[in-house]
Amino acid sequence: MLGIRRISTYRWWHQKKNWILFAIFLFLVFVRISKGSFYKDFYYFISKPFWPGQFQKEIILESIDQEHSIKLNLLKKDNTRLRRILSLQESSINDNISAAIISRKTGSWWRQIILNKGSKDGVEIGNIVVGPGGLLGRVNNVSLFTASVTLVTSPESKLGVWVDRMQINGLLVGLGDDHPSLILYSKDADIKVGDFVSSSPASTLLPPNIPIGIVQSIDETLKSKKTAKISLLAKPHVIDWVQILKINI
Amino acid sequence: MGANFENKYLMNKFFTKQLSIISFIFIPIIFLWHPNWLGFFGIQPYWPLFWLLPWSMINGSINGLIFGLFLGLILDALTLDNNFTQIPGLIFCGFLFGRIKLNSDNLVGHFRYGLICSFGSFLCGTFYFLQILFRNFSDSNYLMMIPGVKNILAEVFLTGFFAPFICSQLLRMFKFSRRKF
Repeated sequence: MLGIRRISTYRWWHQKKNWILFAIFLFLVFVRISKGSFYKDFYYFISKPFWPGQFQKEIILESIDQEHSIKLNLLKKDNTRLRRILSLQESSINDNISAAIISRKTGSWWRQIILNKGSKDGVEIGNIVVGPGGLLGRVNNVSLFTASVTLVTSPESKLGVWVDRMQINGLLVGLGDDHPSLILYSKDADIKVGDFVSSSPASTLLPPNIPIGIVQSIDETLKSKKTAKISLLAKPHVIDWVQILKINI
Repeated sequence: MGANFENKYLMNKFFTKQLSIISFIFIPIIFLWHPNWLGFFGIQPYWPLFWLLPWSMINGSINGLIFGLFLGLILDALTLDNNFTQIPGLIFCGFLFGRIKLNSDNLVGHFRYGLICSFGSFLCGTFYFLQILFRNFSDSNYLMMIPGVKNILAEVFLTGFFAPFICSQLLRMFKFSRRKF
């Protein structure tokens, strides 16, 4: 009675299916760690025939005019200031890379675009992406052929900005909708609808004087700070071509 | 001639057998493609649920849970938000969808898919939104409330709207691929 021999025992590792699932899991963990480089590069190739052409001219030209006039004014001011203070730290734009948007997620939770230029073209994490109108976002991830850009509207984006009329710094926070929020940590700040917002000279992430947007509405319900909704000059949902700025700040 | 025919037959058999896995590969592609003309206020239906619902209904809760995790891993890899993840929502939905029995009444079945997917999308959206709220708890918490709720509602509506069309087709396809040759 005591000598009953066990003929076979079931263990999960005896099943081939479980090992296959485990291998798939490991592969997907690798995909997760590499931030989906395979998928993005694969998408680069299959979306190639559908890349944007030369259309939407009117919207883009209007935004370019607006951008140029604002930029010119800022540069004039900057120039006179720089002539006075020669020791001011200079930002130099080395070279720009033109890129087409091959995937865009401008609604919902994820606010990002994928460009058709990657590390092979010299794009690096932290590069600035501008479109007709002004700033769009920063490069957050690079694969061999693609670059993923976090838009300024993303809840992950927090940037230091400059309100030119009041000469004051603020924080631009993405909220997950089309209008990021400008937070000024001063209740006395005299911000008005129509004020122009550009990148801050004090920012360590962006070069100064890149146009960002215009104040659309102001919320004064908070005690310690003022917040304002910003209407962006560059419209990520209609732009097809962008410039990647390789910048030394 | 004979060998060629056999090869073709084997290829067809392989593709039919693996239809569900082949369609799985296309989810991240649609997720990246983000077709604007299908959207509503720039918001898209929650694509992974359309695949996860028929898969879990046919293969059960455990399979649903595992593939929910797989989908979450891939989709997280494709989005730049390092602090937030879609995995909990998808795992939960995969498990939940596996508990649902297939309904023989076709018409009710179609509408049921819409309802179930809407609920799943609501769960996933809420999980994601809670992570964003939790992360930004100290800063501008209240500012994120309105766009967040708008996102969830639009996503729930769109997912529920498209689910009857897509899920029933996928379910037919998966059933077809499981049949004996």
